[in-house]
Amino acid sequence: MRNRTALGELGKHLFILLILSMALFPLYVMISISGKSGAQFAGAPIAPTAPFHFGNYARAWGMVSNYVFNTIFVCVTSVALTFALTLNAAFFFARYRMPGHRFLWYFFLLLMLMPGIANLVPLFMLLRNLSLLNTFWALMLVYVTGGQVVQIYILRNFIEDIPQDLFDAAEVDGASALQQVYHIVMPMSGSILSTLGILQFIGLWNDYILPLIVMRDDHMLTMAVGLVRMDSEYVKDWGALMAGYTLASIPMVLIFFFTMRLFVKGLAAGAVKG
Amino acid sequence: MAKVTLENVWKLFPGGVVAVRDVNLEIEDREFVVLVGPSGCGKSTTLRMIAGLEDISRGTIHIDGRRVNDVPPKDRDIAMVFQNYALYPHMTVYKNMAFGLKLRGFPRAEIDARVREAAEILGIEELLERKPKALSGGQRQRVAVGRAIVRKPKAFLFDEPLSNLDAKMRVQMRAEISKLHHRLRSTMIYVTHDQVEAMTMGDRIVVMKDGLVQQVAPPLDIYHRPANLFVAGFIGSPPMNFFEGRIEARGGTLYYADAHRNLRLDESRARAAASHIGREVVIGIRPEDLEFAPDGDGNDSTRRLRAAVEVVELMGAETYLHLNSGSGVFIARVASGAAAKVGDAIAVDVRMDRAHLFDKATGAALG
Repeated sequence: MRNRTALGELGKHLFILLILSMALFPLYVMISISGKSGAQFAGAPIAPTAPFHFGNYARAWGMVSNYVFNTIFVCVTSVALTFALTLNAAFFFARYRMPGHRFLWYFFLLLMLMPGIANLVPLFMLLRNLSLLNTFWALMLVYVTGGQVVQIYILRNFIEDIPQDLFDAAEVDGASALQQVYHIVMPMSGSILSTLGILQFIGLWNDYILPLIVMRDDHMLTMAVGLVRMDSEYVKDWGALMAGYTLASIPMVLIFFFTMRLFVKGLAAGAVKG
Repeated sequence: MAKVTLENVWKLFPGGVVAVRDVNLEIEDREFVVLVGPSGCGKSTTLRMIAGLEDISRGTIHIDGRRVNDVPPKDRDIAMVFQNYALYPHMTVYKNMAFGLKLRGFPRAEIDARVREAAEILGIEELLERKPKALSGGQRQRVAVGRAIVRKPKAFLFDEPLSNLDAKMRVQMRAEISKLHHRLRSTMIYVTHDQVEAMTMGDRIVVMKDGLVQQVAPPLDIYHRPANLFVAGFIGSPPMNFFEGRIEARGGTLYYADAHRNLRLDESRARAAASHIGREVVIGIRPEDLEFAPDGDGNDSTRRLRAAVEVVELMGAETYLHLNSGSGVFIARVASGAAAKVGDAIAVDVRMDRAHLFDKATGAALG
């Protein structure tokens, strides 16, 4: 019985290692090539080689640094603005009733069914008419408005679960609606907000279509578009290209490591509440 | 001064639900008034309207002579203690108590002084840096009371604050709130469904049912002179015993009579019953007004009830006998040493000078 259990455990572990290897393999390839010269890459594209050419990273940084800063600025600002709006909107939907509130809510839910890609042409024309093309505001406005729907839906349900007594107590203590959002809702929904923030951040970080159609100048490009352009321009310098991709991944990895605890807590909180 | 006045106050909810009907109430400065009644009687809704957490459909509420119908809760100078404590879970006890003062822009030094003073009054100084989840129910309730005390409001509102506590803690907190009232000398409006809390804590009790005020009076007046059947049956534990019958006049004396009982009315009760001769009434007798009468001691049979013992509840200091006289069960509260066991046929004598008579149709007390 003990041998069969040990064999079973070994099988499970081997399976997990296989899945992990498949997930981590592209990462390994990227980092491995990032340290190769052209000759090393030609001789052994995937196998590790020596020496590791750190100079590729210096060259890559010159190429991608602008894209990194642009993307960080757009993503952080968009996430912050989205939170500022969705928290208040979700609070309104959860706590207040006015004529037509039900219609407004169902209208919001309807927006969740709308595929973003279907709006691309009218969106482009609208941004052009507003003279926002080739500006960061074009990206941020679209990200903020688009990111609200799901966040409002999730946050509204979360806020509804917060006991009414807490809001009553805050009201008696003298808190306005805005103060209730800031002092009660925000601290209590830390894990949910972290999860939503991380998910939105990742989505915006990787977004390709909107920056592609909105941005023209190279110095305005975000990461996703900039890296693809690099591929076209610097197609032979695989080492620098992969170093650029590695550098572009670092912010996301750092963010995830720092917020992983909150992210998992947020997912778990959602699971328990469900 | 912190006088609270309700004039013709109504609360209507969508769908035609009338939660509070035409409540008129004057709560004097420094008075401890208890609103008591069964669930759904409108007591919490009334309290919430005083607090400003519910809109008033009709009527007016004045606090200290100032009409507050449209005044938000934060400007009414009231503090509230909730049934579920409503402590902010992410804040320490200190921050929970300081929150209201911080929002009002009090200086840090004064906030600190008030919080520590309230903590000392409630005996929670060592809990100030803890979060609510690390506190027991009784400690949380004290923090909730402390959060109200620091505000030094004109009136304290309590919404069933002891409901979530165990019986022993409830007894302890009841005494502490009463002591607090004497110490702070503030107006307190207290909502409960527990008639023991109402009787032991209030200067006056407001008994409510179905949104209507049934009676407003000091506790002993409510107990000894209930205004109607509902109040008589709601206040008192074990509850008052009721029998339905008629008032009969025989030989110049009035009697209460039904199929199983024939009780001569005491002089004071006869005066009140004179208008109901021949009419149907309900007689109410409190369990402690039934005296265990061992057979053959020659007591007046016109106030005697014979019954079979169905249940004997030994309470320690006294005994409750559940008796069946053929027309339903009633309860007698007798001395703990009374010799009666299940199945025994016994007799109890009624203290007719303490019996209560009610009109059967309206439920109103006679006299």
